[in-house]
Amino acid sequence: MSKVKLPDSKAGKLAWKGDIPITSRYTAGVAGQKFFQALKEEEKILGTVCNKCEVTYVPMKLFCERCFAQLDETVDVGDTGRLVSFSVVYIDLDSKKVNPPQIVGLIELGNSQARMVHRLGEVKSSDLRVGMKVKAVWEMPLGREGKITDIQYFKPV
Amino acid sequence: MNQNVAIIGIGYTVPKPKTPEVSYKEMTYLAAQMAYKEAKISPKEVESFVTAAEDLHEGTSIFDEYTPDQLGAVQKPMHTVSGDGIQGIIAAALQIMTGAFDLIVVEGHSKASNIVTPTYVLNYALDPVINRPLNINPHYIAGLEMRAYMQDSKTSEEDVANVVAHNLTRAALNKLAPYGAKISPKKVLSSEPLFEPIRKLHMPQTSDAAYVVVLASERIAKKKVKPVWISGMSFCSDSPTLETRDWTTSISTQIAAEKAYQQAGIKNPAAEIDVFEIDDSFGYKQLQHLEALKVYEKGKAKNIFENGDKQKLSTRVNPSGGTLGVGWMHEATGLHKVLEVVSQLKGKKGKAQIKKAKVGLAQAWRGLPTTTCAVVILKNQK
Ligand SMILES: [Zn+2]
Repeated sequence: MSKVKLPDSKAGKLAWKGDIPITSRYTAGVAGQKFFQALKEEEKILGTVCNKCEVTYVPMKLFCERCFAQLDETVDVGDTGRLVSFSVVYIDLDSKKVNPPQIVGLIELGNSQARMVHRLGEVKSSDLRVGMKVKAVWEMPLGREGKITDIQYFKPV
Repeated sequence: MNQNVAIIGIGYTVPKPKTPEVSYKEMTYLAAQMAYKEAKISPKEVESFVTAAEDLHEGTSIFDEYTPDQLGAVQKPMHTVSGDGIQGIIAAALQIMTGAFDLIVVEGHSKASNIVTPTYVLNYALDPVINRPLNINPHYIAGLEMRAYMQDSKTSEEDVANVVAHNLTRAALNKLAPYGAKISPKKVLSSEPLFEPIRKLHMPQTSDAAYVVVLASERIAKKKVKPVWISGMSFCSDSPTLETRDWTTSISTQIAAEKAYQQAGIKNPAAEIDVFEIDDSFGYKQLQHLEALKVYEKGKAKNIFENGDKQKLSTRVNPSGGTLGVGWMHEATGLHKVLEVVSQLKGKKGKAQIKKAKVGLAQAWRGLPTTTCAVVILKNQK
């Protein structure tokens, strides 16, 4: 293979910066609407069940990604779960230190195998263990907006 | 495969942390010149072109309009695959396998040093309604997966640190790896925690480079010097969401590898494949991918450094130093792995050469937050 000669790195540095504001709208959809309404109004985490595949989808999905069936069975999976994994995050999106560190958990909800990724709170990272029981801490009803952040975080039970 | 496809030329620029002296088009042009020279072709003969690129990494929308000129592809069929470069190679090889094309060029490049806000680009890849509102640096996904993998496979942080130290140390022997360094596992374990269990030294750093690969049908390839044959290839994605994916096994690698092995007639990958260039991001990914590739049984990849590594896998896996040593290059990441395997099969790797390498495997992961992986098996004889 022939070698290609590149100019010296110090030879050129001219560059420009550019950016654009990007704003998008994301439709919740048939299943999403129900899911977020239940979060906001009933303090409930809902999933849809595919009995054939034995999968519960949280957040609710209109269809099963495995067998392609349309799903109409809704289930309340409860707001407690088991910690499957966690990560302690020390820097934010700008690579700036966050103090105290943020903790993110992968949580298996209720008796379903449905999982949710969310913040963990009211716990020291050194006290966290895979398998520990956690429970959702909800935003006050008036503060809820029908968003995933209507759950503030999960805390150990 | 019903129509044999070979790589008859690869051109590249040497990966570097920063390249303020050249534009991405110029880098690609230089790589194309080198590839066409090796393949002894003119771009005029090329029937179709594929670029692997992603708009938000390039800083322009509709990036496929920006790809032809630097390849000599103006007024020619050209399309962009928004996936890893190995997916681009597969897309091109499939065109040749239809019998309608004889000569196709695949290109991928990285100007990662020009992505000023990469973490925001990554965050924009998360589910906008379920995950993005948490507003946390999305590398936590690697932290969650590393812990879930370690728990499931009874792998320790020391085992993962061994991978990082080993790959960075080996990269020091590879002229194409800018991040080679003699680093001990202890140093990995004591480096700054960022997304625990992920630490600073687990994180792949980015590189800039361009790759151009010339693919040909057997009709053309058999007239060329040292063609490298594609004997198996596949890619797929596991469930896309964080909520439904498998957090312990690389299902996509497993499925892609099964198909590629079947095409290549490989039954015992550890014994039949001489060299592996695979994704080793964050260290744990190398172990997870080796198990998905069936080089090790589940939970056994950590044994790669044990005494009695009779199959010498610690030497034959990522002799380049992997992505940790060479650098993360977004869509071009897999093309570098293909380059390393092709160079091994041609016996051109100098200090990093695996003796008598005849069969090689390149595997790439599409990166966070994806579950997409691609596998290609290459041979220096048909
Ligand atoms: Zn189903």
